Amino acid sequence: MRPFTYTRATDATSAIKLLAENPHAKFLAGGTNLLDLMKEDVERPTALIDISDLDLNDIKPITAGVNQGGISLGGLGKNTDAANHPLVRQHYPLLSQAILAGASGQIRNMATNGGNLLQRTRCPYFYEVAMPCNKREPGTGCGARDGINRMHAIFGWSEHCVAVYPSDLAVALTALDAGVIVRSANGQQRRIPIADFYRLPGDEPEKDTNLPHGELITAIELPKNRFANQSYYLKVRDRASYAFALVSVAAALETEGNTIKQARIAMGGVAHKPWRALKAEQMLVGKEATEANFKLAADAEMADAKPLTHNAFKVELGNRSIVLALRMAVNGGKA
Amino acid sequence: MKEVTKVTGTPINRIDGIAKVTGKAPYSMDHPVKNPAYAILFKSTVAAGKIQAIDMTAAEKAPGVIAIITHQNAPKLNVKGGLRGGALLQSPEIEFFGQHIGIVVAETFEQARYASRLIQVTYDKKEPKVDFEKLAGQARLPKDKEKADARRGDVQTALRQATYKVEEVYETPIEHHHPMEPHATIAEWNGDHVTLYNSAQIVNGAQTATAATLNLKPEQVRIVSPYIGGGFGSKGGQWANLALAAVAAKHVNRPVKLALTRQQMVNSVGMRQHNRQKISLAATADGKLTALAHETTTHCAINDEFVEPCGDCSKVMYDTPNSLITYRVVPMNLILPTYTRGPGKSTGSFALESAMDELAYKLKMDPIAFRIKNEPDRDPSNGKPWSSRATVQCLQEGAKAFGWENRKSEPRQNQQGNYWIGYGVAAGTYPAHQRPTSALVKLKRTGDHVAATVELAAADLGTGTYTILTQTAADALGLPIQNVKVNIGDSSLPPAAGAVGSVGAASYANAVNDACVKLTQELVVKSGKQFFVRPTAAQLMRSEKITDYQTRVDSKPPESAEAYSAHSFNANFAEVAVHQSTGMIRVNRFLAVTGAGTILNPKTARSQIIGGNVWGIGMALTEESVVDPRWGNFVTRSLADYHVPTHLDIGHLDAIFINEKDEHVNTLGVKGIGEVGIVAVAAAVANAVFNATGKRIRELPITPDKVL
Ligand SMILES: Cc1cc2nc3c(=O)[nH]c(=O)nc-3n(C[C@H](O)[C@H](O)[C@H](O)COP(=O)(O)OP(=O)(O)OC[C@H]3O[C@@H](n4cnc5c(N)ncnc54)[C@H](O)[C@@H]3O)c2cc1C
Ligand code: SF4
Repeated sequence: MRPFTYTRATDATSAIKLLAENPHAKFLAGGTNLLDLMKEDVERPTALIDISDLDLNDIKPITAGVNQGGISLGGLGKNTDAANHPLVRQHYPLLSQAILAGASGQIRNMATNGGNLLQRTRCPYFYEVAMPCNKREPGTGCGARDGINRMHAIFGWSEHCVAVYPSDLAVALTALDAGVIVRSANGQQRRIPIADFYRLPGDEPEKDTNLPHGELITAIELPKNRFANQSYYLKVRDRASYAFALVSVAAALETEGNTIKQARIAMGGVAHKPWRALKAEQMLVGKEATEANFKLAADAEMADAKPLTHNAFKVELGNRSIVLALRMAVNGGKA
Repeated sequence: MKEVTKVTGTPINRIDGIAKVTGKAPYSMDHPVKNPAYAILFKSTVAAGKIQAIDMTAAEKAPGVIAIITHQNAPKLNVKGGLRGGALLQSPEIEFFGQHIGIVVAETFEQARYASRLIQVTYDKKEPKVDFEKLAGQARLPKDKEKADARRGDVQTALRQATYKVEEVYETPIEHHHPMEPHATIAEWNGDHVTLYNSAQIVNGAQTATAATLNLKPEQVRIVSPYIGGGFGSKGGQWANLALAAVAAKHVNRPVKLALTRQQMVNSVGMRQHNRQKISLAATADGKLTALAHETTTHCAINDEFVEPCGDCSKVMYDTPNSLITYRVVPMNLILPTYTRGPGKSTGSFALESAMDELAYKLKMDPIAFRIKNEPDRDPSNGKPWSSRATVQCLQEGAKAFGWENRKSEPRQNQQGNYWIGYGVAAGTYPAHQRPTSALVKLKRTGDHVAATVELAAADLGTGTYTILTQTAADALGLPIQNVKVNIGDSSLPPAAGAVGSVGAASYANAVNDACVKLTQELVVKSGKQFFVRPTAAQLMRSEKITDYQTRVDSKPPESAEAYSAHSFNANFAEVAVHQSTGMIRVNRFLAVTGAGTILNPKTARSQIIGGNVWGIGMALTEESVVDPRWGNFVTRSLADYHVPTHLDIGHLDAIFINEKDEHVNTLGVKGIGEVGIVAVAAAVANAVFNATGKRIRELPITPDKVL
């Protein structure tokens, strides 16, 4: 690791100030991603501001404002606690399933909700400093574009970067229209809709998100919804546990009789951000919740996919996964 | 004194179990040394060429740095000393990506790692040879005589004439051993003698190879390796890091700790090579094999050759009048491949046993009946009788225990919810050998209490060597196990075979038994008495009032064993569930039935077998090291990318041992189980996937995308 200074923050205001002052400073939360990247020389912060003591762990009902009736997850709450909280399990089982589908028990015990949102891609060229990578070192080229790209994107990639974003949690949050609450150095708090939080690589793949340097994730807000009984997080991967998604689908439906009133579908493992399957959603609203309609929706979404050399399978797999996740959702989690 | 009950063959707990789970067992880096410095190796970032210049200005100034060693200032070493894989800093030549090109020694590990990243290297690059797809066509006959073409009869004619045949190519990818304990060494000099704390499957081999490499006499090098955190072949032959630790310690005149990082493991300590295996089988309509050809194409290092014996199972498993085993190999700019659990047999059996399944299906024969029909009564490769062979028994007893009769002979007939269920079987073998091993047994009596110490430079890979040797010595001396202490893993002890190729248990246990028998005999003679019932050594120590006695043997395999072909045999049964939409596969049940002669401890033996099964399932479903064909670097460098099975991937495991008494193989009738546990596992799984889905996957690992 490169030498760095270490400060243990005691309050959010001073933590944000310290970060904002130094463009090469980083917050340290659970450290499960940042420290790995520092050991590999990929992240090279000159200062670490340890925020793990900040009192931002609460999971509580939102009692006022636009999201009244929803819940709020503290930015420094542990992934494990979020997954197992009764409010989450009861009202947002999709989120609980998504978190538990990620990483391992030990890592989830350390990992925080804010840190999870900002985890970086697992692209192997990003992780190996001897390889070209525009995300790590802009202008060096994309090692994966014409290299080994079985795990990479089929939607929204650019010639500059074909990486996928790895979080499971964020895929569920995208389906649930969550908001990310951030605080900046001037003490202001704002809500970034999850759809605006992440970005496609374009010609600036070094930017994973639209969060400016110097802002702290204090909470994640989940709006109230009626999806709890008809949602499912499907994660397809190379082994049953402890592997990143080949493709994942967060599906949630609200129905009246057998008619779909609202549909939410987000995909993981297919793009530089959690991929909201808007085309599929539009196909479903007002239709009957049938296998045939699920298939039409999946076809509509996957028609735009642009696979790379080694990941053509993701198009068929994504299609099947949308159908399966929707079927599991209407059956309350059973096939 | 009452009789002590015999413990050999009973499932006693591991002698070293408590020490391990409480963290008291010292692994290589845990040994206390005074004031160690920390070394890290740095690597080439090109796969072929020559180092032009190394700029160390910034690194030399970095905090804590004590020394930097490269080919420019490294001492002259003997590159043919017996360490594998080159990379000894003897020249600027680069033969593979990740080759060690220098050592940074600093006060702490992180200081060393940081400084290593400040070093700037420029290269004269050459076009690397790393694309197996493109190079396979240039493969040549290996230099190794064992890999010469082995031909019996006329395979081509038999194939031409046959109606029932299979001619297919099976691919197994590069795999890495990735033991939990990465390769790590503490080197401590004392004058011109060096002690190396370094886990080694072959303690004396590590000693002689390192000594020769360092231009020392073997007695100047001591290897200390009481515990090994896994090796699977990668700690059999040793690699450059061992000698480089000694070089660094000498250079800075201080003990040095040198550990490889997980990411460095992929190009430092060997690998299992990518094998392209063509199998051709022909049979008569009633299922008698008429031809078997097994042709392997693979790769080795640019300047050194190692070829896994993929054709070995095909030599001995089935009776056929026409047989052909060949190897072709192409040098590539990748690290030297090496022995990897079940070398040649785990990979070779995937090809052979998949093809047997394919042919059984074409013949509309039950795959078990098809195998039994082709059971050879002698070793087809050399005509020798078997010392014992339990293939048929393994298949039959396994079928009964597994519920084979519930298998549907046609694929896609067994559906449970969203899953296709399939059953698969495969049979395998691994040769049994005993190797020369010495052992020293010391007895000490205090009052009525007799205690034994057993010493030999054996290795315990975590497999149970301590335990079985304690059992063997206790029974042979007439002592309870608490009174027996086993010291192994130190090259200053009597020389022993390695824990490799399934020779450990047979070599060590027979040597210890021989030493105890010899010691008892000597005590009888010493007593000058005649005994109607021979007393135990413990009883003699008491009756003759002897306080200290010791003896040593240099044990060798019995010459009579030469007349026989000795192998362990197994049959594996897998039940898989394949998800119809996603292609995800789960092994619901796995049963291994093994005939391996005397089982010294059913508990450690079971652990060995199911451990092999789990790796075999990994081979079947998840494990693959991927090389970028442009640069020759591995893109799967961590355990997040290189997938070994997790608990959730593995359903119920079961191991059955055939009650087998082998009279010929060696005195104790021990055949070895370390390797055979992984043989014919991947094929059983692949055959079950076919039975479930109708998809024949001939390229491992069977990931969801291949099954879609
Ligand atoms: C082997 C392995 C497997 C994994 N598998 C999965 C998986 O399958 N699915 C999955 O979703 N994840 C997986 N993960 C990733 C894991 O979920 C993340 O590492 C974890 O969520 C990161 O949280 P953390 O608190 O440890 O973040 P840290 O490592 O501490 O921080 C990560 C980044 O977020 C920034 N940061 C942290 N908190 C805040 C905050 N409150 N405000 C602003 N910035 C902040 C840090 O500065 C840093 O840049 C895996 C990780 C490993 C090591
Ligand atoms: S895909 Fe993105 S992260 Fe991966 S090498 Fe290309 S630029 Fe880097």
